[in-house]
Amino acid sequence: MRRLLAIMMLMLGATVLTGCGVSIPADPEGTLDRVSGGVLRAGASPSDGLVDVDVRTDTVSGPLADVVDGFARSRGARVEWTVASEEELVDALEKGRLDLAVGGITDATPWSDRVSVTRGFPGIPGADGRSVVLLLPMGENALQSALEAYLDDAPWQGEEAP
Amino acid sequence: MISRMTSMGRTDLPPEQQAALRSAVRWVWFTIAYTCVTIALIALVVGGSQAMKTAWIEDMLSLIPQISFLIALLVIRRRPTRGFPYGLHRAMGVGHLVAGVALLAIGGSLAVESLIGLLRGEHPAIGTVELFGQTIWLGWLMVAVMSVIVVGPFFYGHAKAKIAPILHNKVLYADADMAKADWTTTVASIVGVLGIGIGWWWLDGAAALFISAGIVWDGWRNARSAVLDLMDQRARTHDDAAPHPLADRIVQLLRSQPWVAEASVRMRDMGQVFHVEAFVVPRRGGVRLARVEAARSQIAGLDWKVQDVVVIPVVELPEETRGKERP
Repeated sequence: MRRLLAIMMLMLGATVLTGCGVSIPADPEGTLDRVSGGVLRAGASPSDGLVDVDVRTDTVSGPLADVVDGFARSRGARVEWTVASEEELVDALEKGRLDLAVGGITDATPWSDRVSVTRGFPGIPGADGRSVVLLLPMGENALQSALEAYLDDAPWQGEEAP
Repeated sequence: MISRMTSMGRTDLPPEQQAALRSAVRWVWFTIAYTCVTIALIALVVGGSQAMKTAWIEDMLSLIPQISFLIALLVIRRRPTRGFPYGLHRAMGVGHLVAGVALLAIGGSLAVESLIGLLRGEHPAIGTVELFGQTIWLGWLMVAVMSVIVVGPFFYGHAKAKIAPILHNKVLYADADMAKADWTTTVASIVGVLGIGIGWWWLDGAAALFISAGIVWDGWRNARSAVLDLMDQRARTHDDAAPHPLADRIVQLLRSQPWVAEASVRMRDMGQVFHVEAFVVPRRGGVRLARVEAARSQIAGLDWKVQDVVVIPVVELPEETRGKERP
């Protein structure tokens, strides 16, 4: 009897989900939807060989910046860079002022209880075997899934064996 | 290891109880093996969901009653000695208490953790994994794992629930009861993960709170039942639902003796066996030793659980053994 009830509950849940046409996973704050076709507010913390900041021209470059640019392009978005220290970037992600942050951050980062941390990508050019991660607002799971899927399909993936 | 256990303390187990005990030990080992597999499976996918984490810790906690049952079995088989004249039956109650307190403490801390997460509005993060060249949301794997492992507890839960009354073992009974309700935990964790999936982040914390409240409830019931027996509550049935009917049967048996004017009994649950003190008021102010001994062995013949019996001739029945039970 209770088993039947549980199965019915699950079936009902599945029907509701498919009926609403919700894509899973979804962002509680809708970041991916807002970014797509709009502006990706990215934060950068300088890191040798991964993120370079030119102070005179105020531009961000390097392999990680290219990754962010590529991801934004794939969503039809343009990137608006903010350069700051890692802690300031984490603060901004928490307060919803940034959508994404990069720097010389690896999967051993201690920030993981304040922001979402992607899987490590040791294949990123210039990573030098480090398992490089990107930081996102906590629990924006659609954004994280889209970004990780983009990185899994990146052209440099599989070329460079660590 | 315990498969040849034929006695508990001074009690020689009847064939039915011997078979039930062998079966219980097999089911307990099966439960341990099954639970270890589920713990390992969940470890692969646990991720950022509080509900998954709570369900995972509950699985680990469910090993405690199994292990305390096996350890207690090793202890209670020993015969009474000068040092432990009542035998070592209480080991089962001690194991029951340890399991209950562990559930209570860890369940409580998990409930507080879930509640704080909800109040702080912490959004759980679940990323993806790359599997066979495909990027898959980890939440789907969580749902898959939980849907697979939900079946086990039905089997061992019902099997143990059948054995527990035969052995009058409250650890086994409480464990079976928890296993039978385990599917609610699994369904709750799936609901929590799907909640995260559709962007309802709070559903995860709510599911975690539901699961940890279940752990606290189990802990409370187990600890309470163990403490009451350790404090020598009047012996009750294996599910604590009613006073054990053996007490009444013993009193009836004594009253039917021609030399007995009045009789009453004080019976406590030592684990799976009882300790019986039977009080009798003889008709003519005196009694022959052979009659007391005959009554004692007749009581022992009633049930395998009542082997530790003393029959005490008294002038007046003790107050606490008469009348109705007060709460």
